[in-house]
Amino acid sequence: MQQVFSFTCLIGMMAILSPAETTLIRNATVLTVTKGTVPNGRVLIENGKIAAIGKNVSAPADATVVDAAGKYLMPGIIDCHSHTAIEGGVNEGTVSDSSMVNINDVIDPYDVNIYRALAGGLTVSNVLHGSANAIGGQTVVIKLRWGKTAPEMLFEGAKPGIKFALGENPKRQGYPTQSFFSRGPALERRYPGTRMGVEEVIRESFTEAKNYQATWKKYNDRIARGEHPIPPRRDLRLEPLVEVLEGKRYVHAHCYRSDEILMLIRVADQMGFKIRTFQHALEGYKVAKEIAAHGAGVSTFSDWWGYKIEAYDATPYNAAILMRKGVMVSLNSDSDELQRHLNLEAAKTMRYGGLSETEALAMVTINPAKQLGIDDKVGSIEVGKSADLVLFDKHPLDTFSKPLKVWIDGHEYFDRDKDLEKRPEFERRKKALEDKLNAAANAGAKQGKPGAH
Amino acid sequence: MKFRLLIVAAVLLPFGRIEAAAPSAIAIKDAHVVTVSGPDMPKATILLRDGLIQDVGPGIAIPADAWAIEGAGLTVYPGFINGLSTWGITARESQPSRESATDQRTPAPRIHGPEDRPQTYSFERAADLLTPDDGRLEAARSAGFTTSATFPNRGIFEGLGAMVDLAGERGRDMVIAQPIGQQIAFRMGSGGMGRSFPSSLMGNIAYVRQLFLDLDQYRAAKMIYDAHTEGNRRPEYDHELEGLAESPRILLPAEEAQQIDRILRFGRELKTPFVVYGLHEAYRRVEELKQANVPVLISLKWPEKPKDGDPHEGPDYRELQMREQAPAVPGMLAKAGVKFGFYSDGVDSAADLHKALKKAIDAGLSRADALRALTLDVAGIYGLSDRLGSIQKGKIANLVVTKGDIFGNKDAVEYVFIDGKQFQPAKEGGR
Amino acid sequence: MKVRSLVVIAALSGLSLLADSSNSVLIRNVMVHPVTSPDIANGSVLVIDGKIAQVGPKVGAKGVARVIDGHGLQLYPGLINAATNVGLSEISSLRDTVDLDEVGLFNPDLRAEIAYNPSSEHIGVTRGAGITAVISLPGSGGRGFGRNGPGSVITGQGTLMHLDGWTWEEAAVKPSAVMDMLFPEIETVPRRYAAFLPGRPRPYQELEKDYRERLQQLSEFFEDARRYEKAKAAAGPDFRGDVRLEAMIPVIDGKLPLFVRAEREPMIKDAVAFADKEKVKIIIADPREIGSTGPLLKEHNIPVVLGKTFQLPMRDDDPYDAPYTLPNEFYKAGVKICFGTFDVEFARNVPFEAAQAVAFGLPHDEALKALTINSADILGAGDQLGSIQPGKIADLILTDGDPMQAKTNIKQMFIAGRGVSLESRHTREYEKWIRRP
Repeated sequence: MQQVFSFTCLIGMMAILSPAETTLIRNATVLTVTKGTVPNGRVLIENGKIAAIGKNVSAPADATVVDAAGKYLMPGIIDCHSHTAIEGGVNEGTVSDSSMVNINDVIDPYDVNIYRALAGGLTVSNVLHGSANAIGGQTVVIKLRWGKTAPEMLFEGAKPGIKFALGENPKRQGYPTQSFFSRGPALERRYPGTRMGVEEVIRESFTEAKNYQATWKKYNDRIARGEHPIPPRRDLRLEPLVEVLEGKRYVHAHCYRSDEILMLIRVADQMGFKIRTFQHALEGYKVAKEIAAHGAGVSTFSDWWGYKIEAYDATPYNAAILMRKGVMVSLNSDSDELQRHLNLEAAKTMRYGGLSETEALAMVTINPAKQLGIDDKVGSIEVGKSADLVLFDKHPLDTFSKPLKVWIDGHEYFDRDKDLEKRPEFERRKKALEDKLNAAANAGAKQGKPGAH
Repeated sequence: MKFRLLIVAAVLLPFGRIEAAAPSAIAIKDAHVVTVSGPDMPKATILLRDGLIQDVGPGIAIPADAWAIEGAGLTVYPGFINGLSTWGITARESQPSRESATDQRTPAPRIHGPEDRPQTYSFERAADLLTPDDGRLEAARSAGFTTSATFPNRGIFEGLGAMVDLAGERGRDMVIAQPIGQQIAFRMGSGGMGRSFPSSLMGNIAYVRQLFLDLDQYRAAKMIYDAHTEGNRRPEYDHELEGLAESPRILLPAEEAQQIDRILRFGRELKTPFVVYGLHEAYRRVEELKQANVPVLISLKWPEKPKDGDPHEGPDYRELQMREQAPAVPGMLAKAGVKFGFYSDGVDSAADLHKALKKAIDAGLSRADALRALTLDVAGIYGLSDRLGSIQKGKIANLVVTKGDIFGNKDAVEYVFIDGKQFQPAKEGGR
Repeated sequence: MKVRSLVVIAALSGLSLLADSSNSVLIRNVMVHPVTSPDIANGSVLVIDGKIAQVGPKVGAKGVARVIDGHGLQLYPGLINAATNVGLSEISSLRDTVDLDEVGLFNPDLRAEIAYNPSSEHIGVTRGAGITAVISLPGSGGRGFGRNGPGSVITGQGTLMHLDGWTWEEAAVKPSAVMDMLFPEIETVPRRYAAFLPGRPRPYQELEKDYRERLQQLSEFFEDARRYEKAKAAAGPDFRGDVRLEAMIPVIDGKLPLFVRAEREPMIKDAVAFADKEKVKIIIADPREIGSTGPLLKEHNIPVVLGKTFQLPMRDDDPYDAPYTLPNEFYKAGVKICFGTFDVEFARNVPFEAAQAVAFGLPHDEALKALTINSADILGAGDQLGSIQPGKIADLILTDGDPMQAKTNIKQMFIAGRGVSLESRHTREYEKWIRRP
């Protein structure tokens, strides 16, 4: 029970999990993803890292031993497209370019969806701004360290990103319509209202970013010459775009249709930056060649389609086609619900395109790790990597399976048995508190006689 | 309950000249004086002249011109100070501060980004908006409040606050000090999909951040220009930034634990003195607040069960905990040594103010700590403890006189002094 | 897999059961999962004229037009998705392609059947997962917070359709299978969503008043239907027909079940009480919690069409797996269950929704029953669909594994004995674009 967990964690939020303990997981079928499968294998966790993998791994006497006979161990699942744990709005949708906003400012470590996702084996999320504008906000990669504070959830050393969005979502405010939220009169229109406009916003913003770069260079040159120029205004909107130009920030671009994917590749070529991932890219399969040539990855859905016209040409074979044509592909959730079972999404690639088990698992582990530039630390069970692990009762691609335990950095963050065990106590506590508050309120109401105010 | 100016000189003077009737000095004799800054004085005289505390202590001689008040059986405290409110600013015609569907019928121009300075009223002064006619002042005085840190309340940068007396002939008479700070509020409409920037929390944060960067640049530009006019274009005059530049401190909102974490980081980042207001879930962050050494203002609007909620959908556990523990926050912060004050947060009736304070005391706040938080500490948060917040010689004569413990019952207040002038609550059934 | 067609001379098949030799299929040497009886290893199923003629360990192939060797494969009855909008909605964000949620409070005379587009791309896509029949509902079930004004209460007649047919008429199995209804609800907005909605949330007292009014209207409408039925029976000279009330007669006669969408415990209880009072047959659809309703539903013999298992818990404090364990909770309470997705794009995922319930406690066989025979029973087609039994319509799938497993491939499908293509818009895109040089 998530709230019990939070309750216990909150008592000593900073104090818990100080020195990582040594843990040996034994008798598991170890699905390393990158180095094959070890039947009846052992994995030793030391100092938060995977210290050893194999059939004959010994552990120090004081190690915690987890017997995983009949169970399956896989790397923690990684979601390259999430909007979880965002407080106060996923979009800053009021402007065509909202690159000044940063998801890092609004991570809510108390969002119960973090725990729910953990319980589904998810350990890392690329938390993105929404898709309401051509250039969206800055993004951040987190580890689902439930019970910790927002800064403590950040994935150390992961390169930050920025969200772009193409197609229907960013242009939606540009034509008269009734939004989901507004049942009143049609909203005032805001630019852009076409795919052409979306492209123009991106070109314009990057042109501005280059001008901005030049302005600062000129200023710094003058300073270097010993002059006393007035500093230019710092612009929080343009700075992340300069970082994109300098290769310091990844671009994750929401897109659907093949034309817009190709468009962004050409704009990026022209402006001199790279797209790290095309997100969703449901028609990515039509331009697999161009995506591969650009060196971008694709993070897509397993089988979403048909909910809007730009998703009508979607096919669940997208991942398979892209993979076979040399594109790095991952499967993402884009949803607090879907992020709870990305392993099952991966399983669908075996039906739709005949991926092997390892290829399917890679879609939610090592591939997204590569797309986020964190594959040296997570994404597979390899010695030296972070001990981000999930223990399943059955093979994780079996639709009847479920996670039993989840470790991040060698710490246990989810245990199904413990969760089940805590439920009655939680219910009792909650009921007692509710009764207490009601009793106090009733007593208060009796005191407050009429005429007393 | 009504309060009215006590007509102390009614016998001597005809009606219609009430204001001029105030005596040149007032002496409250033989009262129990709670100085807050020092030990209590069980039997002392307080001499008020020219709006100030001229003297206080046992055995003070009462000058011939002073109007003496028998204080035996009475207790005198420094007047309570509301740490943040709009008391003294009455509702006015202004653009709606929150977006809603109904607002969309009267569209304002769309805001395109920070450069349009959306919802910035940094230049507005509470001091210019005050009126003694605000009906809430009377109720506040009945609860023992004599003073308030009053701020305008629209926009994100809400304007420059003033420390004000809760009575006066004209608005300008009420001002004790200004500007005392700039209140910042986060305004979110439709979860980020509103009409005008910013409408998400992250948009608000980015916007505030940008304005402070702009302020840095503005200051630097002025400085450099003053020293090197040649070859530099003159910096443009910026109304909004002037208002911000003038703010000695900013007030930032944080209610829940993660918001407290966030705002402590953000405040430090802005490199400007700041005060955090809200704090109902601060029981989860006592240690962090202590480490941060940032003063806070605790809302007196304790979270409670809504009257019109769905009986089948109870609150979640965290909400229940907040309802239980929020009133314990003041006591916990006091024990940890965090400097805090209270603010009314829309609780305006005398009975409700009394009840809200009582709730904090019942939840573990000592009376002495409560008193400090309501007087000297909150004055200190605004850098005004040299003139307000305790009964000391030379300080402003804002006092509360009670029969018994001020927190004891809601009718304990006998009268208050504001700027040395006496006000009395009209008792039940009176005017 | 071997498929061969035998051209048999009719004259030689004198002893055959075949009425028309060209209309017979024998699937043999296959693991048969009849669902209603034990599995038969190396079994055979004979289909004649679209119906299952014989099931057993050995069925003679003599005179059979087509024999399929199912070696290594599994034969299941076709799966049924008991709640979809297939055929009535093509692209859910484009209103012009959507025929759901007609204007008006009570629309019992609307027939989903006639708006079922037999060319919808969703039909082929849904078949791809082994689904041979669906209920198509005329309502989306969308309530949505902050909805302005009342939506429909009775949205029309849901239809049981085969996912095959040149016309809707040919596809229909049971044109009027259920009466789709959104039970009135007290729609309070959870605190965390309140900030995202225009205007202030309405107080509970006000919402409850609306709810009572709506219930009253509903009762009156049923009362009208009864009066109408009586008047019709009396057949007086002044009797005048009324299409809406006419459509209610099967409901008030207890022949057509009300398909009542009720998410929360209080609504379910109110719905059962309503059905009790009106003496009508109901199905509870898309419940999100069981609460204390289990014994009530069991006692009244009311079945449940479960919505998606893959949902978020309704409340922050709910167990993380609450939606996953819900199907088993209903099952354990003795309630007959089946599954629906209540949408169109994800209608094909109904076997996975059931699978997740299995992962969290629902017995595997019960999940399979829920996807087949229970659906048929609940939808009033238990004598026609849902199991491999002689006399039933031959809706069959031949697979290389459990249809609830994602890795399983559906190899062949038969709807009413006809071999049906498993191609779809999705496979066509694949075939086309994998070849792009």
